[in-house]
Amino acid sequence: MTAGVSIEVQDARCRFRHVSGNTIDALAGVDVTVQPGEFVCLVGRSGHGKSTLLRAIAGLTPLSSGIVQVGGTTVDGPSVDRGMVFQEDTVFPWMRVIDNVAFGLKNKGLSAQQATDIAKDWLQRVDLADFAASWPRELSGGMRKRVAIATVFATEAPLLLMDEPFGALDYVTRLSLYGLLTELWSRTGRTIVFVTHDIEEALILADRILVIKDGGVADDLRVSLPRPRDEERRASPEAVAITKTITRHLGLAELLDRHAGEAQK
Amino acid sequence: MKALRRYVVERKVSLLTILALLLAWQAAGYLSPTSALRGSPLVPPFEFIFGPALLGMSDYWQYEALAPVPSLGGEQTWRGAFLALGYHSALTLWRLVSGFVIGAVIGTILGLLVARSSITRGLFALPLHLLRMIPLLATIPLFQFWFGATNMSAIIFVAYGVGVVYFVGTINAVSNIPPRYIEYARTLGASEWRIFRSIIFPAILPELFSSVMLTLGLAWSAVIGAEYIGVNSGIGRMIIWAEFFSNTGRMALVTILLMVYAGLSYFLFRRIAARILSWMPSSASRSAVL
Repeated sequence: MTAGVSIEVQDARCRFRHVSGNTIDALAGVDVTVQPGEFVCLVGRSGHGKSTLLRAIAGLTPLSSGIVQVGGTTVDGPSVDRGMVFQEDTVFPWMRVIDNVAFGLKNKGLSAQQATDIAKDWLQRVDLADFAASWPRELSGGMRKRVAIATVFATEAPLLLMDEPFGALDYVTRLSLYGLLTELWSRTGRTIVFVTHDIEEALILADRILVIKDGGVADDLRVSLPRPRDEERRASPEAVAITKTITRHLGLAELLDRHAGEAQK
Repeated sequence: MKALRRYVVERKVSLLTILALLLAWQAAGYLSPTSALRGSPLVPPFEFIFGPALLGMSDYWQYEALAPVPSLGGEQTWRGAFLALGYHSALTLWRLVSGFVIGAVIGTILGLLVARSSITRGLFALPLHLLRMIPLLATIPLFQFWFGATNMSAIIFVAYGVGVVYFVGTINAVSNIPPRYIEYARTLGASEWRIFRSIIFPAILPELFSSVMLTLGLAWSAVIGAEYIGVNSGIGRMIIWAEFFSNTGRMALVTILLMVYAGLSYFLFRRIAARILSWMPSSASRSAVL
């Protein structure tokens, strides 16, 4: 079993140049510290830098300045120690399910037999043991997400980065995946950073919610609700207070007021 | 069920069309005048094609040990006819297959090398499109001038024609790979070589297979073209020999043979492609190989 790692982000800046020639600061000096084993959700509106921050931690998007350290080591590119689950379907369609899960393990230098054995074990844990020899096209979207989750957990990466992984799935499938993810997380003690724009999702999953706004961290909220966070717990005063804080940061109230005003006219 | 019925109906209709065309040909054969030379009908009916014309193929047999050689005074024999057809078919197929394989492999490898960076892609994009615009058959004389009217020349010509298509096809295919697959592979610790072998290569296979369907026809044209113009053997050359003496029946016979070979090569290839691309959704794999 691998324990999680810490993350240290110091004054991270990331500037993109548009085709039009304009520049945009996707990250404008972010400072974040994440403790080993924490489940952190990055919440915010689209285009405010959540995904850029996540990709910078993954080593997929280079910073213009600043530093990202994971487990005390500076990030300078992608690594098998920082597993990533993307919003899009990234399960390789030309590999059978078992080979998808074994892919990262083989990259780590394990023999084909060892990799297959571990992959089988993980498929069992995500309840897909019967589909080891299937092609990804034969699976539903939710099942393919489980394959992706098994793949990153199997590599024993101490840090898992998830970029709106369940965004394209239906509500019931999402709920069951929340259960699976929190169970695997609490058993393995990995650090997870999870990007979402869904406040309810963040309330179900996170120890800590970072509200990302205009390329920076607007708020850092602790969620101490006991798990599992069923509907009742999500309706508790603490949860409602957190939701209110987040919606205030997202400017939801003003948005609603404006629409209400326009509707009255 | 509805789709199935439509399929059968469409198939029946196309079978009827083929039957009508065959009958029209046969009718034209009876109505058309006969060439003054050698009594060959302008539109040879089928009994002529598979009778005197087929037997006449033995004229092109040259090894006395296996069958009489008409050009040395021997008589026309069925054995000689089939030997001649087999011999020249084998030569043509050898040129086709080896040219095709060499062209496909070299074209794909070069394409992969160029596609790896946007700088090399930029360097090669325009010259390649210009190269593709040159009519293939127009370059045959030049190839024969460079390499002689030889087997090798025909093979190199086919390889060139096929290779250019693969080169361009591979570059396009690589640039069409969704970047997320490569990023995902990187976060799973894949080395450059592993990304190439396990991501890029399988991801471009569907497009490579469409190139195969495209280039099979091209390769047939190229090899027959090379034999028309210079190389002194093969079934393409047989058509020219037949043309010298207005042997319409022999020309039609070789054309039918070519249809059979081309059809078989498509069929065989589709079977292979369907097997290798079984990971694709069935409709997508069908459109990739059709």
